[in-house]
Amino acid sequence: MKILEMEHISKSFGGAKALDDVHLSVEEGEIHALLGENGAGKSTLMNILTGVLEADAGLITFDGKSYPEPTIAQMEAAGIAFVHQELNVINDLTVYDNIFLCREIKGKFGLLNKKEMIEQTRALFERLGVDINPMLMVSELKTSQKQLLEICRALYADAKLLILDEPTTALGNDEIDHLFEILRNLKKEGKSFIFISHKMPEIFAISDSYTVFRNGTFISSGKIADTTPFKITCDMVGEQYVDEDVYEERELGDVVVKLEHFCGQGFTDINMELRKGEIVAFTGLAGCGASELMQTMFGASVCEGGSVEVEGEKVQGDITDFMKKKVAMLPANRKENSVIPDMNILENTYIAEHSISRKKPFISIKNETVKYGKLKEMLNIKEESEKDAITSLSGGNQQKVFLARWLNTEADILLFDNPTQGVDVGAKAEIYRLILGFAKAGKTVVINTLEIPEIKKVADRCIVFYEGHIAGSFTHEEIDERTIMAHSTNAVETREAV
Amino acid sequence: MNEKKKNGVVQAIGKLWTHHSYIFIFLAILIVYALVIQSNGNTFKMSHISAILASQTTVIVGTMALGMALVIITGGIDLSVGSGLVLVTGVTIMAYNATSSIIVMLLAALIVGALCGLINGLMVGCAKMPAFVATLGTQLIYRSVTLTYVRMVDPALSGSSSSQFSMISSNKYYNALRMGFGTGKLNLGFIELPYITILFFVLLALFIIISTRTKYGKSIYAVGSNVRSARLAGINVTFVYVSVYVIVGFLVGIASFLQACKLGNITPASSGMNYELYAIASVVLGGVNMAGGRGNILGVLFGALSYTTINFIIVSIPSLSTDMQDACQGLVLIVVILIQTLSPIIKAHFNTAKKRKANEALAK
Repeated sequence: MKILEMEHISKSFGGAKALDDVHLSVEEGEIHALLGENGAGKSTLMNILTGVLEADAGLITFDGKSYPEPTIAQMEAAGIAFVHQELNVINDLTVYDNIFLCREIKGKFGLLNKKEMIEQTRALFERLGVDINPMLMVSELKTSQKQLLEICRALYADAKLLILDEPTTALGNDEIDHLFEILRNLKKEGKSFIFISHKMPEIFAISDSYTVFRNGTFISSGKIADTTPFKITCDMVGEQYVDEDVYEERELGDVVVKLEHFCGQGFTDINMELRKGEIVAFTGLAGCGASELMQTMFGASVCEGGSVEVEGEKVQGDITDFMKKKVAMLPANRKENSVIPDMNILENTYIAEHSISRKKPFISIKNETVKYGKLKEMLNIKEESEKDAITSLSGGNQQKVFLARWLNTEADILLFDNPTQGVDVGAKAEIYRLILGFAKAGKTVVINTLEIPEIKKVADRCIVFYEGHIAGSFTHEEIDERTIMAHSTNAVETREAV
Repeated sequence: MNEKKKNGVVQAIGKLWTHHSYIFIFLAILIVYALVIQSNGNTFKMSHISAILASQTTVIVGTMALGMALVIITGGIDLSVGSGLVLVTGVTIMAYNATSSIIVMLLAALIVGALCGLINGLMVGCAKMPAFVATLGTQLIYRSVTLTYVRMVDPALSGSSSSQFSMISSNKYYNALRMGFGTGKLNLGFIELPYITILFFVLLALFIIISTRTKYGKSIYAVGSNVRSARLAGINVTFVYVSVYVIVGFLVGIASFLQACKLGNITPASSGMNYELYAIASVVLGGVNMAGGRGNILGVLFGALSYTTINFIIVSIPSLSTDMQDACQGLVLIVVILIQTLSPIIKAHFNTAKKRKANEALAK
């Protein structure tokens, strides 16, 4: 029996169509994978389903009832729960408070009956096989536990359909297994799931059926058993994506950056040399210290020991001191760390250059526009006008604006922390091609990324981090998914020890 | 052709409405003022506009509001400007009484004003205290210290024996400062502009340039819009925070000098009461976003003019008792802001409904 049926859903923001006549139907008691690149329209559809956004057109039928204009409260009452990627649990309350938020059990005089709530929470956790103390503050929980807490919360509210938005990104392998076990048990109880993920092995391990979107349109759907990861990938990326190998070997220059016994928050005793024109990839699991190292190499985090030399001179101090030595860093998490939402594209491009050219306090919008025009052409930024809001651009174009921001400082050492995060496949390939171009022009590029195939495409060298130290260093030829995974999970040492 | 021209004008007005709605708000309030005056049996004349431009709430509060706008754009607030004005004006008047020197008087105003601001800035920027609390603290301190001091000080220095600071009229330059500059006007033929209003306009122009044409100005917006991005783009965030409070202090210094010249005295127990709130109201009426990152210094002029005009309207309605004035002010303020916040919501709602209809028609 179908529990959810969404038909002919359309939605546009401003002029851009986010969803164009798409369908989605979910059977009762199945895990349905919703697939597509970033910007394919998955989140928009889920926001429409949960009443956060209003669709421009379309029909929603859930559990036999139709919802012409769903509101958040209606859909919640109907039994749809959205477990967001950025968790929506409240850190400053206890675990049981979170479970019972807005549906507290009251005792005499309308006061809270804590004992009963704790008891029920315990029973719920036991039934689901979740091992969390109900009395703990949520801030003390691990990310994986918060994830489970949010799922439990939805189940307590008697949700029939749970939307899980990339639930495994912050989880380790054991935690993922545990989550999947819980999901399988719930499935047997007749709960249905919409599972949003980018990781093919997981999708094939847990899902029953799938739906693929691309650029806001419906592409395909069917049973997972009847398809292959390759077919689904093709559906997701379409024809446009040519998996060409852009890498080419280059002559490297002299050493320009030298780290000696470099220590900081999250990493210790790093020794490393980077050459002019070299592309070096940092990789490792979340929390391996690579991102922190990059921030410290830019003066954004405190150096706790050792030294960093740029062009033979030791650099110390804050971000502007590093910028003056021609170091630039494109930080991870674009929205939090790069976007200045109230400023237009031109202002966003120039904000970094301004902080090293303070000696000339006035701005010449004319000169800036001309120079921006050149950057725009070089990076192929697609916009109507440089006076448009930065937020009107897609993720990939925004990222290009931030590349422009740093190229504009005329930096020679470019540190890119997860530069293709939240960028669609087409723009990704473009960004990597640009990175190769920078290196050819004599710039030194460091990329921190978790995507090993991408490393293979551009890096001359790959440095793998594990718990704050270097676990291995590989030349371009040696880069291979399995070796790198083995080093980043420290599987190598365990194997050697045996 | 004519049609095209018309469309262009409509579009220009539409653009003005979305980016500079404070102009329309001021015009609407001004029209109401004109109607009230007409209904009182008088004719609305240029002298009424001149009075708005010369008013205490336009010039003195407006000057402080220029700095307040910068502080609010960084996401902060300064509640100490009203009592800061009292303290700095006190010092300014004493400096004049002691030396009879315009230069010393002006320097005293600027330096003490900037120091008052620096104290706020260090607390907010370096010690990371919430701006609301830090400046609430200095608000209480600045006025209370001035009140205590005025009762103890030698009347020869304060210029008065009745708990106020007053410029001694027998001193040199008194007439030049008070009659010449403080209350003097420049006759432009169609309108008479007070000198201090002209000075306010000069400051306004200066701050428009700072906010739109300098790198420092852009860094203020960047910090208010997203402080993390701003820091990672190399902006010295602490400097920006400290500096905007110093700028407010500096402007409080200028406002104090103007206050001294315009009125010649200040009473710590009652002068400058709630001026910080009037300044905030002007900034908000000028379309600056209280959450930071957005706003326009030109808006502050219209905000201050709107606020002054609202006061004038209330005073011109004979049936309103003075006790009701604050209530009216509050009500008008709320209505104006309500229009600003509600109109995008209503607009979005209508747009979705329109799209829905269009799509349904297509489906059929």
